[in-house]
This record gives sequence, structure tokens and C-alpha cells, in this order.
Amino acid sequence: MQTAPLGLLRDLDPKRVMRAQVGGQDLVVWRASNGDVSAWDNRCPHRGMALSHGFVRGNDLACLYHGWHYGSTGACSYIPAHPDLDPPETIKTAVFSVAIADGVIWVSTKGVAQPAPVPMASQPLRCFHVQARSDGLAHACRTVAFEGGAPEQIEPGLYRLGARRVFVLENPLDEDRIQVTALVDADATPNDCAALSRWCDAVRRLAQTEKVAA
Amino acid sequence: MTQFTLYDYVLSGNCYKIRLMAGLLGVAYYTVPVDFYPGHEHRSEPMLALNPSGTLPVLVADDLVLSETQSMLGWLATTFDRSGTWYPVSDANLHAQVLQWLGFSARLTASVGAARLNAMLDWPVDVRAVRAASRKDLDELELLLTDRVFSGRTWLVGEGPTIADIACFPYAALSPDAGFEHDGYPAIRNWLYAVRSLPGFVTMPGIHPLHELREDTHDG
Amino acid sequence: MSREYALNDWYAVGDAQTLARGPRRTVLLEQEVIVSGTTDHPKVVDAEGAAYPATFKYGHVWTSLGDAPRPLFNIPEADEPGRRLVPCGVVRVKCSPLRAVENFLDIAHFPFVHTGILGSEPHTEVAPYKAEIRDDVDEVWATKISFYQPQAAKSAEAGGDTQYLYRVAAPTTAVLYKTCPPKPEAMDVIAIFVQPRTETECDVWPWMALYDETSEYAGLVQFQQEIFLQDRSILENQRPVKLPLDPKMEIPTRADLTSIAYRRWLKSKGAFYGAMTEDA
Repeated sequence: MQTAPLGLLRDLDPKRVMRAQVGGQDLVVWRASNGDVSAWDNRCPHRGMALSHGFVRGNDLACLYHGWHYGSTGACSYIPAHPDLDPPETIKTAVFSVAIADGVIWVSTKGVAQPAPVPMASQPLRCFHVQARSDGLAHACRTVAFEGGAPEQIEPGLYRLGARRVFVLENPLDEDRIQVTALVDADATPNDCAALSRWCDAVRRLAQTEKVAA
Repeated sequence: MTQFTLYDYVLSGNCYKIRLMAGLLGVAYYTVPVDFYPGHEHRSEPMLALNPSGTLPVLVADDLVLSETQSMLGWLATTFDRSGTWYPVSDANLHAQVLQWLGFSARLTASVGAARLNAMLDWPVDVRAVRAASRKDLDELELLLTDRVFSGRTWLVGEGPTIADIACFPYAALSPDAGFEHDGYPAIRNWLYAVRSLPGFVTMPGIHPLHELREDTHDG
Repeated sequence: MSREYALNDWYAVGDAQTLARGPRRTVLLEQEVIVSGTTDHPKVVDAEGAAYPATFKYGHVWTSLGDAPRPLFNIPEADEPGRRLVPCGVVRVKCSPLRAVENFLDIAHFPFVHTGILGSEPHTEVAPYKAEIRDDVDEVWATKISFYQPQAAKSAEAGGDTQYLYRVAAPTTAVLYKTCPPKPEAMDVIAIFVQPRTETECDVWPWMALYDETSEYAGLVQFQQEIFLQDRSILENQRPVKLPLDPKMEIPTRADLTSIAYRRWLKSKGAFYGAMTEDA
């Protein structure tokens, strides 16, 4: 499995927790108070609860079910039901490699995360899910007009839309669902971004309609 | 001193809007639990005499009887919010935007609210229709909240929280009860977090407290 | 074959309210059944009209789909004078029926899931207690449990230590006994009757037998519904969905003695419907 783009750092402030997936591996992605981003197996080893429902205390992630704390190495550091117990080292969740590049959170479930190059100076646009396959998404990106003009595909994933360029990163969630992380030129204004965000919505609608038609 | 009586059902997202607004404004009230489920007491004759629409919640303050959550939120803010920020009626544009979102909140009730009642209590609804409408409404909320991110803002209207946020919060937050997870909705997720961080915030089943705000206990 | 043992157990499939509203078409152990009749003469049939045994007890209609049903367990407190019997409706949960029961037996989650009601930080410690499989009655029991609760019941006016006793009467039926705030010498009884629709989806019927003469019925039901719906959001987020019986798959501590005994008991009986076994 190559390194996958799991969304925008902009959307994950310190002390926040979210769920993501890479190649069928369910992940909790979270940020400690110190800003560090971690990606772990999304399962508390105690009773299988999704850690993505958990909460951050300091630089630990705690499970919502029984409040077990896990530190940056993924090892359990505190069990509230037994406050005086030093948790055994065997209680540990699987930790995966994370890299932050171009404002994107990249995770690899095998080896060190190696972000793909982004072919422009960029800023975050938005991250969303599409119920479609990759070819359907690409077709929609080439088809949906922006401000009256047809998009121009510069290279795979990179589209010229009027005066702006959008780079579309894909992370397949399952057979026909994709997590999209979209970036835009670094000098795009908030108004440009809002307009291009609507273009993303139109792309999603077209990709999903064509999937239904097929 | 209690300021009004709320005919309430604990699992109702609409009743929760009023409990939440009252909590945020620090207003005390008296609760009459109504056996919406399993008893269908909201459609009993005494309840229909009080509120002919047969819905919950019902808010009663002296002679005033309100049965729409939008009007209750407006009344609560107008009566108890001395700052005037929760319901900005003096600014025509802000006021209109709040009303726009109150309308949207009714759509969320009809879509996500109905899908949730079906998933939880096997409530008879047109499952396909309400689930399709839920997805559409959540997509729309995500898009409009993403606009707010681009302009550096947190709340649905203006610079601070308004009754628009409170009207839309419950069913957006409770959508996982119906199987609509927030994974694909980062803007909704961050806005929900902002609402949950407000002083005076109260919870309901399906919306747990922010345990991370309790820093005085064991920390790392 | 995981369904075989389960076929001969009894399951709640209706209550007085559902009977009053007409036939309830539902699913039990992946089979469609229709529940109708009255509390005196309940009726359970399948889609072809074939009848199954049906009895009305503990506020619910009970049925069994097997050829040789084990006897329906007894809850003697249901007949004690002065108790209010409170059925709480039915809630659909996308989880293993066994995970629903195991969660009901757990106290360590109270401060985090039922915050401000059944538990609160920093009162998180679970003191040693006793859990055992009682071979004579073929049940799991947990005793000598005490836990600090901010609001133990609808009738509770202040926080305090609550004493608990748990009893697993059947793989999908659990009963708890807890300190009754208005009547310290007695204990309230709260049960969950789990109707397994499939191995990963169930309908849960909470039921109570309380000493509380003052609270309104709606308030009692809503207190219980608030608690159970807080659990629902946990139950739908446990993975694997089925309950793992292999002790290596999930790591328990001393606070989980009841859960350990429950899993061991299920395994010894071959009650695998809703469970993951080593060879599965």
C-alpha cells in the first residue's frame, strides 16, 4: 500500500480526533496538545471500541468507553478503573507512519510515509467523500464546467479551472467510495475557494449520478 | 426560579434544542416528561388539547404556548439573552440569515430526524426517501460551513453563536444514530466541536460531553 | 453452527404496548415472525403461519424457535408486592446481542458514557468484587460491587455509593440489582431482554421492577432510555462486531471479571450466536 492522503491538517486542530481509512485499515487520526499528528489502528485493545470516538487529554488519546489512555507510542499509559496500576506494556495499539506535506496528512500502513509530490504551490481547498470509482471521478473533473469554461486536465489529478488550478488527491475507501483531498493555488482568494468548493460539489454530484446510471 | 415549562422527551433532538438553549442562557425551567415512546403520549387527548399539532416539545410560559422549536428559540433568546447576540434582530441581513437556517433546521428534522427514529425505534417512515434527503442536507450543511472556513469564521451566521447554530446542531450531531458518520464532513465536525465547547453546553444520548475539557484529572 | 444453541432459548419479541397496536412483524434469529394476540393469549407464528410457543411474562411476550426449549428463567422479584413493573419499549441496535449484554454487565464505563448520572470523574476506580459461574443454576453472577454514582436512579436526590449485583440468566438476558434510593433495605431490579435479529443486529427491551411510588411513569422510562441510548452509541462502534471469545483478542483487567466469566460461560455452553470463536 502506498502512502495515502487522509485529509487536510487545516481540518484537524490540536486536541481533535477523526476517523480515516487506508487500504481497508480503519484508523484513528488525532492531534495531541503539542500539535503532533498520530495515526493508529482504530480499536481500543480493551473492548474493541473505535478510538476515533475518544478524546485527547494532554498528549494522550483516551478511549470514550472506559477512558483508557494511550501515549504517543500507542502504549496504554493509564486505566481509570485501576488508577494505581502501571499498565502492562502488552496493551498497545498499532501505530502507523504519518507525514505532513502541503497541508495534507499522509499515512502509510507499511513503512515510512512518503507523501506524493504536489505539482504547485498550494493551499488547502477541502476534503470530502464521493460515492464513485476513480475513473468516474476523473471523468466528472474533466466534465464539470467552472465559470462557464470547460476544465483542462494538465496532468492526472491536476485541473485548470479558469485562472486557478485544483489538485485532486484520491484515497480509495472501498470499491466505489473515494476520500478526496483537494488543493488549490496558494494565491487563491477566499472567494475563489468558495467557488471552487462548489465546483467540487458539482463534481461529486456528477460522479455519483453517473455511477447510478451505470 | 423556573421561567417556563417544557413538555419534553429525552431522546428527541427537537426537545434537546430547547434544553440546550436554556442551558447556554442559564435559564431554569420545569420539565414535564411526556411518554413519546413507547406510550405515544404526545398524541393523547390531554396533550392534543394543549398542542393540537401533536408534536413535542411544547413550551408553556404563563399564557404563551409554543409548539415550534424555531419560535421557542427565538422567544428564549429575545427574553433571556441580554447581550442580544443569540438572535440578532436589529441587523436585517443577520436576522434574515438566522431565519434561513431555522428553515433549514426543519428540513434536518424531517430528514435526519426521521431516519434516526427509524434506525433507533423502527419508526415507520419512507426509509429510502428520508435517507436520500439526509445525505443531501448534510452535504449542503458541509458546503455552507466550508464557505465559513474560507472566510475564517466558526458559526453559521455572523461572528458568534446564534439560535441558528442551536437549531441545526442536534440532528447534525445525532446523524451517526442513523448511520451517517461524520468522517466525510470535516467542516461539520469542527462546527459541532465549537458548539460542544460553549459554556453551559448540555448533552443528550448520542452526544457525549467533551471529556477533554476536564483537564484537572489524570493528564498524560 | 452458531444458531443451534440459540434456537432453544426464549426471547422477548413483544410487550403489552406492541400487542395493543396489532401484529408486530419482526425478525428473530434471522427468521421472520409475527407477534400478535393479547397478554393472556399471545401468539407467535412464522411467515407461513406455523405457530411457536408463546407466553407473557415480565411484561413481555416470550417465544422460542427450537424443538426442545430450555425452561424460561425465573425472575422472582417480578411477583413481589409493591414493585412497579416498567417496560421501556424496544430499541434497535446494530451490534452483537452478546455485546449488548456484556455492556450491561460493565460498571467501569459509567464515568465516561453515563457522565453525571451513573458515574463521574475522578470516581473511576472499580473496587475488587466477585464474579462466578454458578453451575447449580447455570448462570453467571457478580456480587459485592460498589460504585460512586452522582444520580443512581430517577428517585435519587444526591450522589452516593451504589451497591450492585448482576445476574446473567440466559446468554441474551441480564438482570441487575442495585441500591434503591427511597428504600435502602430493598434493591431495584433492572433487566435487558435482548432479541437477536441476526448475529450483528438486535432489538433490546429494557425492563424494570422498582420501588418508586412517586416518579411519573414517563420519567422512569425516560431515565432508563437516556441510559440505554448512551450505551447504543458505544455498542455500534465496537469491532469486531461479534463478541470475541478468544481471550487473546481483547485485553481485560480486574474490573472485567464479570465479562470474563460471561465469555467463559458462553464458550462452555457453545452459545456462539453473536460470538467470534477461535475457529471462526
